[in-house]
Amino acid sequence: MEDFKPLISECIAGNQKALAELYHHFAPKMFGVCLRYAKDATEAEDNLQDGFIKVFANLKTFRNDGSLEGWIRRIIINVSLEKIRKQHLMCPVEDVSIYDTINFSDDVIAKISADDLMKLIQELPPRYRLVFNLYVMEGMSHQEIAQEMSITQGTSKSNLARAREILKRKVHETFGELKAQNNYTA
Amino acid sequence: MKNTNNIDELYREKLQNFEKDPPSYLLENILAATVVNKKSRKVVFWRIAGVAAALLLAFVAGWQINSRDQVELEQAIVMSKNQATDAETEKVIPSEQKLDSKQVESSNILVAMLDHSEQVKSSKSINPISVSDTEPSPSINETSLLKPLDSRFIKISDETASIKRLQERKTKEVTKDLAEKSIDQQIMEQNQQLAMAQNPDRRKGRWLVGAQVSPAYNVSNSSHSAQYASNMLAAESTHSVDLGAGLTIEYKPGKRWSVQSGVYYSGMAQSSGISGSQNSKNSFAPGLAADYVNTSVNVDASSNKLSMNSTAGVIELKGVPSQLVLGSKLESNSVTPAVFASDVQFTQNFEYIEIPLCLRYTLIDSRIGVEMMGGFSSNLLVGNETYMQGTSGKSLVGSTKDMEPINYSGTMGVGLKYSLSKRLFLNVEPRVKYYLNSLNSNSSVSYKPYTIGVFTGLSYQF
Repeated sequence: MEDFKPLISECIAGNQKALAELYHHFAPKMFGVCLRYAKDATEAEDNLQDGFIKVFANLKTFRNDGSLEGWIRRIIINVSLEKIRKQHLMCPVEDVSIYDTINFSDDVIAKISADDLMKLIQELPPRYRLVFNLYVMEGMSHQEIAQEMSITQGTSKSNLARAREILKRKVHETFGELKAQNNYTA
Repeated sequence: MKNTNNIDELYREKLQNFEKDPPSYLLENILAATVVNKKSRKVVFWRIAGVAAALLLAFVAGWQINSRDQVELEQAIVMSKNQATDAETEKVIPSEQKLDSKQVESSNILVAMLDHSEQVKSSKSINPISVSDTEPSPSINETSLLKPLDSRFIKISDETASIKRLQERKTKEVTKDLAEKSIDQQIMEQNQQLAMAQNPDRRKGRWLVGAQVSPAYNVSNSSHSAQYASNMLAAESTHSVDLGAGLTIEYKPGKRWSVQSGVYYSGMAQSSGISGSQNSKNSFAPGLAADYVNTSVNVDASSNKLSMNSTAGVIELKGVPSQLVLGSKLESNSVTPAVFASDVQFTQNFEYIEIPLCLRYTLIDSRIGVEMMGGFSSNLLVGNETYMQGTSGKSLVGSTKDMEPINYSGTMGVGLKYSLSKRLFLNVEPRVKYYLNSLNSNSSVSYKPYTIGVFTGLSYQF
């Protein structure tokens, strides 16, 4: 694990070059995280900006015994969650039950780019997007998600299922070709 | 690609380590905001320090006025003593000196007064403020008294100048900070302000009304001329606990500052009494009770009113209270020409209606906020009663003479403000109050109690 201790000390002292260096090291990865949680690139940029302002303001509270990337990532995710909470956009939507059994072939998967997938995830309703990100990408349990978002575990599971189905439907509509198999669990 | 049928795996594989360079202007914004945050913390520190200094200055200014009164009082005592030494007879109560001749002629009771005045004269040699044989001219006295006041004034001016310099420096820092902000941020702030202005629900009210109650711990603080003190009732206690209550109104033009006023009722009590059984003069009054009030009682024959000196001023009695026996000519060498023969306690109650004008500054603006306050108050005397507490109960016996109908006090405190709802607040605020002038106009008495109170109440914002 890379030792950021000297760099962090410089940042706490207010050294602008050090702050810029730390930013450049983590910003691209964190921007990727922001894009997944946001509805578009503009919101992702806002979240990244607010997140890093918070990171720099709280650097002195970071204890060097853990992963700096994990710590920054947690702040960025929290800022993203907070933004959505403030916008009161946590309403669930549409019935997607008819897409329950859609899955994709390797050929379809191969021609989908990360940018395409990012666009699809950004189009999800906010709550579905959050639950999908927290469960699939951050590896959180439904219990943890329920606590984080102040919802029940049942709602979390239901939202995840709906998010998956919406994503599948959109992949199907965009790239065609499907095969009937369903092998995932919530 | 493994397990591609699973949409979860698809996203994990393609987006888990997804990276994208953000626009370059983001870093500029972040760095600018980081610098502004650090500076604003510094500005907040200076702002708090400035407010604390201003309140301290108000407090010190109050003390200065206070000590000027003290000097004037001392001067009055010196002058009064000079006059008193020239006179053949001395009165027990200096405020009544103008009526001296009439009173001496008409009084049949105070026959032992000459002896008493001699005793007082002899005691002056012990008194540190005694008058020298060669009287200093009043002009020299005044000059020597004014000098320290001048020097104090210069000291205050220096402090004021340093605070002014501090504020100028602070203003420069703020201006510099503003200049460093990017145009984007300024536009964002303007938009935010515009949105706030357009959305009436988010606008907070500027007025607050409230009600307060306060247990007040009054600490007696007084000084008297030696002549007055030699015939004064002993203070039973140096403190009392009284209750006060009132209504407040507060106007908040900005986020931090506000002006507060209102109407407030406060009470204050001063107890005086006697432990007469220890007095050696008992042996000269075998016919009377063993205990008696250790004070001279002056009798104005024209009005037939009895009066005696107390810590807070001269108590004027309506008549001879039923529990007391008035004794006179007890012995030829008596210090006390007339005495009350009983063991009682006198309580002087004063009631005031206060109209305060205070400045408040919010140090912490959150659910549990912290505020500092400082200001002045005009106090109107609405109640002045003296009670006597003896073996047969408590009775109203008179009032205190020469009480100022209006006086002024300074106050400062730090309080907690708990937000019960968006508009309703619970306030708990310990305050210290001190009087700028003596509550009694008698030149021989300086009576300025301190008050420590915990003001508790509710306020409603609209």
